[in-house]
Amino acid sequence: MTADDTDLLLVERAKRGDTKAFEMLVIKYQRRIERLIARMVRDVDLVQDIAQESFIRAYRAMPQFRGESAFYTWLYRIAVNTAKKALVDLKRDPLVTESARASANDDDDETSRVERELTDGETPEAVLASKEIAQAVNAAIEALSEDLRQAITLREIEGLSYEEIAELMNCPIGTVRSRIFRAREAIAQRLRPLLDTREGERW
Amino acid sequence: MVSDGFDGPGIPGPWSQAKNMQSDPHPSAGTHRAALSQLVDGELPAGELSAVLAGFRQHGAARADWHTYHLIGDALRSDELAVAPAHDERFLQALRLRLAQEPLPLDAPPRLAEVAPQPSAPAPDTEPAVPGRRRGAHWLVAPVAVAAGFVAVAAVLLVNQSVVTPPVTAPTIAQAPTAPAAPAVLVRDAQLDRYLAAHRHLGTGLAGAGSGQRSVQIVYEPK
Repeated sequence: MTADDTDLLLVERAKRGDTKAFEMLVIKYQRRIERLIARMVRDVDLVQDIAQESFIRAYRAMPQFRGESAFYTWLYRIAVNTAKKALVDLKRDPLVTESARASANDDDDETSRVERELTDGETPEAVLASKEIAQAVNAAIEALSEDLRQAITLREIEGLSYEEIAELMNCPIGTVRSRIFRAREAIAQRLRPLLDTREGERW
Repeated sequence: MVSDGFDGPGIPGPWSQAKNMQSDPHPSAGTHRAALSQLVDGELPAGELSAVLAGFRQHGAARADWHTYHLIGDALRSDELAVAPAHDERFLQALRLRLAQEPLPLDAPPRLAEVAPQPSAPAPDTEPAVPGRRRGAHWLVAPVAVAAGFVAVAAVLLVNQSVVTPPVTAPTIAQAPTAPAAPAVLVRDAQLDRYLAAHRHLGTGLAGAGSGQRSVQIVYEPK
């Protein structure tokens, strides 16, 4: 089974009504989809809306997904089309955007406060939090033993399978599986304090 | 071969170690995380997927682990993807609210019938951008389409039969062109007429008695 196979299994589950399986796909791909849309749409407030709409469209269209392409490729196309449609709609009705921007810039407007709470695309806090995550991950990688660091790097950055890593590292597949898991747990240990300090939000 | 002593599939050794790393409301968190780690890599045996998905459904900690593992991978691949987890949580919560308003995207027609009576399911969006919204219509139209197919096949058979049948009952040696632009010149010869009449009689007899009158048209094309 490959990572693509995992996606197909999750899609099949979601088609049969398991929304949590679909959530697993959302959690997996949401960051990449938002980055993709952010490259097309400059308004950071719109990026999250379009990403949400993209996942909703993917959810609706799932019965048509037959696995002929990778799930992410299919999702990618939906996100691009959704972003293009949003851009066309914005050109057709620019007043909506201007009013939204005006209210977002108006500190006295009560609605602007709500909007700022709901969006954290480019806020200093969000940028700082992102830097913290990147630093924590990098520090955790540096602190790993050579075996664990090599295993997680070959998997996550090089995209090799357990079998390929086992060949490269001259060890059994079970050892590869163990090393990758322990590497992830060591990194997660560094991340969890950052994750748990977010108040009022639960998975 | 270098081994860390965790070579067997499903051996809980490393996972019991992970379990001791921190408290977790999920009773078998270590094992579950190990399975999640394999699933992240697409290396989980298919038979173990159900248990992992069940854990994912039941435990927020499992969902948080799934997110953390993917966030680690994304952050390793690109700093751009090292997004604040709070943002991801909000994204999922907002999406859940919208998904709760969506009818289930079920694949099999019988399940469509099961879902349809649910009062909480809103009417399907008629927006044409997503083709999956018209599945119900496909389901209703299918029997009509099959019947129409039978009618079409029957019509084609009838037409073919009517086209093929006439030459059998009215043999024609040659047929004058229908276009009147250059009328053919018919040349009759008495000797030939007698010859044809004799053979016409013979042919009628061979074809069977009482088969009625048959006409043979002979056209001589001008050279």
